[in-house]
Amino acid sequence: MTEPILSVRDLVVKFSLRGQILTAIRGASLDLYPAETVAIVGESGSGKSVFTKTWLGMLDANGWVDSGSILLEGKDLARYRTEREWLTIRGKKIAMVFQDPMTALNPLRTVGMQIQEVLELHHGMRGEEAKARTIEILGEVGIDMPEARYDQYPHEFSGGMRQRVVIAIAVACNPKILICDEPTTALDVTIQAQILELIRSLQKKLGVTLVYITHDLGVVANVADRVAVMYAGEIIEYGTVEEIFYDPRHPYTWALLSSLPQLGVKGQPLYSIAGTPPNLFTEINGDAFAPRNPKALKIDYVKRPPFFQVSPAHSAKTWLLDPRAPKVEPPETIKALQAKYEGYAQ
Amino acid sequence: MLRYSIRRLLQSVVTVFIVITLVFLLMRLLPEEGYFGDSYDKLTPEQREAILRKFGLLDPWYIQLRNFYSSLLKGDLGTSIIYRRDVPVIDIIKIKIPFSVSFGLAAIGVSLLFGLSMGIHMARNKGRFWDQIWSAYVVFINAVPAAVYLLFIQLYVTGLKYRGRPIFPMLFDRYNPRSWILPLISMSLGSIAGYAMWMRRYMVDQLNQDYIRLARAKGMSDKQIMVKHVMRNAFVPMAQYLPTSVLLTISGSIYIESLYSIPGMGGLLVDVIQRQDNPLVQALVLIYSSLGIWGLFLGDVLMAIFDPRIRLERREGAR
Repeated sequence: MTEPILSVRDLVVKFSLRGQILTAIRGASLDLYPAETVAIVGESGSGKSVFTKTWLGMLDANGWVDSGSILLEGKDLARYRTEREWLTIRGKKIAMVFQDPMTALNPLRTVGMQIQEVLELHHGMRGEEAKARTIEILGEVGIDMPEARYDQYPHEFSGGMRQRVVIAIAVACNPKILICDEPTTALDVTIQAQILELIRSLQKKLGVTLVYITHDLGVVANVADRVAVMYAGEIIEYGTVEEIFYDPRHPYTWALLSSLPQLGVKGQPLYSIAGTPPNLFTEINGDAFAPRNPKALKIDYVKRPPFFQVSPAHSAKTWLLDPRAPKVEPPETIKALQAKYEGYAQ
Repeated sequence: MLRYSIRRLLQSVVTVFIVITLVFLLMRLLPEEGYFGDSYDKLTPEQREAILRKFGLLDPWYIQLRNFYSSLLKGDLGTSIIYRRDVPVIDIIKIKIPFSVSFGLAAIGVSLLFGLSMGIHMARNKGRFWDQIWSAYVVFINAVPAAVYLLFIQLYVTGLKYRGRPIFPMLFDRYNPRSWILPLISMSLGSIAGYAMWMRRYMVDQLNQDYIRLARAKGMSDKQIMVKHVMRNAFVPMAQYLPTSVLLTISGSIYIESLYSIPGMGGLLVDVIQRQDNPLVQALVLIYSSLGIWGLFLGDVLMAIFDPRIRLERREGAR
């Protein structure tokens, strides 16, 4: 395989909240390869956003990287402290598209200016040249009559149009890595599809590495090459889309997929994961998912599992993959998926 | 934008009209003794009636109102009856205006300079040492009645001596610049606190917005974000009440002018209320209330200039 452009190793991120220490990211590791699309999935509070924000040095003031490394082009971003250092990364190397387009743009500046200031900042363009390029980018993200739209304000744009503008800002940055933090969650369904399509086509055209944060597995199947599943601040399984959807190995991934309404059996109640995510204020021993996993092994409560490789691209952090582990059958829905996958692979 | 301004202007004209009418009618409710000054006891009932008739006060109220308006439209605010008998009100006020306006302008300059920078400084150091120091100042100014600290300044600061001679005189003297300093500081203390508090509040509001996060993510430095995004946006809600504050400051501080005996409009108002010179009171109240209304009008127009979202029907950005 080619060299990763970003390599995160054993990242630990902590926050101090009301005098207590919360460990939001508990040793997460992830590699990103050029021009691929990786989806990070997980429930709310699993640390998806925090994980990616550390790559930009955009943690809230009460949070810090406790240990681990974030290697980008030979530099360890986990050691970056000053604004000056981060300014060499933000926008230039890594850019971000946020969830809510309604509030992501400054209401008092024209849309054109908000894109143009990026061109001036990162590419040293000025005046007419910058304006021309801005209008060109507006067109590229699918905004009609870009010349007229250039001088308009965000309140004259609809939600989907504003998200296109936010994406245009990211495109203007021309980054190596683009992080999309639930970019379609705040939009209605028809617009969602359009925005997904736009992101996908831009990714192909620009060859950027796309990181897609979402809890919508439907979106994942649509856009991603690879999937990383996050639970309680850890990446517990990663692999190609096919591997994760058709051959999941971690009990949490099983549970997550089983709760998809599309996979439910007609007439039976929809599956939901019992219990609540662990309290991140206390130290977690063993597998964080064990208390919610009816088939948990004894060792799951005692020792944290390492990654076991399933295939060159597929690994999962579960003791079930240890050669000494007893055979635990996945739930019926997952077995059905696996059977389908075997058929599909042959 | 133009339509918005015109509508707002018409509204203001109507408001001024209502205020003027109300002030006039309220003045009619005052006891009539005021019109006779000190000589009330010496006058016979017939003489009193003759005086009231001379002022037109025996006519029904609507006739009085009509007369008042027709002379007002000619620019005639009546004549003083006690303060300076038979001198036109306008001439009396005219000589007071330069004092109030020059003190007011100076105070506005000082308070904008210090207030806005204090607010910006507080917002940038939110929750840290300097924020707390300046907050203490703002809380002090807002919590302690102005009369208290202004009196303390006048009493104790004027007691400071250099080589046995007081540094700051206790009363205003137009030919002694040193006597201008204390009234100026006194006038500015309150508005500095006001500007600082609002500027801090609006800037902190902006700093928590999503678009600030996006601006950081796209690689702008904190300084660029402050100048290009935060300060301008924070200034919009400030713009709304700035003109009111400016107009009311240049029209004179009622309390400080009388404290330091500055011959301005504020001191005059206190004076003529005490002496029941009704035409003068009426004229001054008219001036002050119209200035307030024009201030609000200018504030709304100014805000509309800064904020493209504002049209009269829809004001999502206004707070």
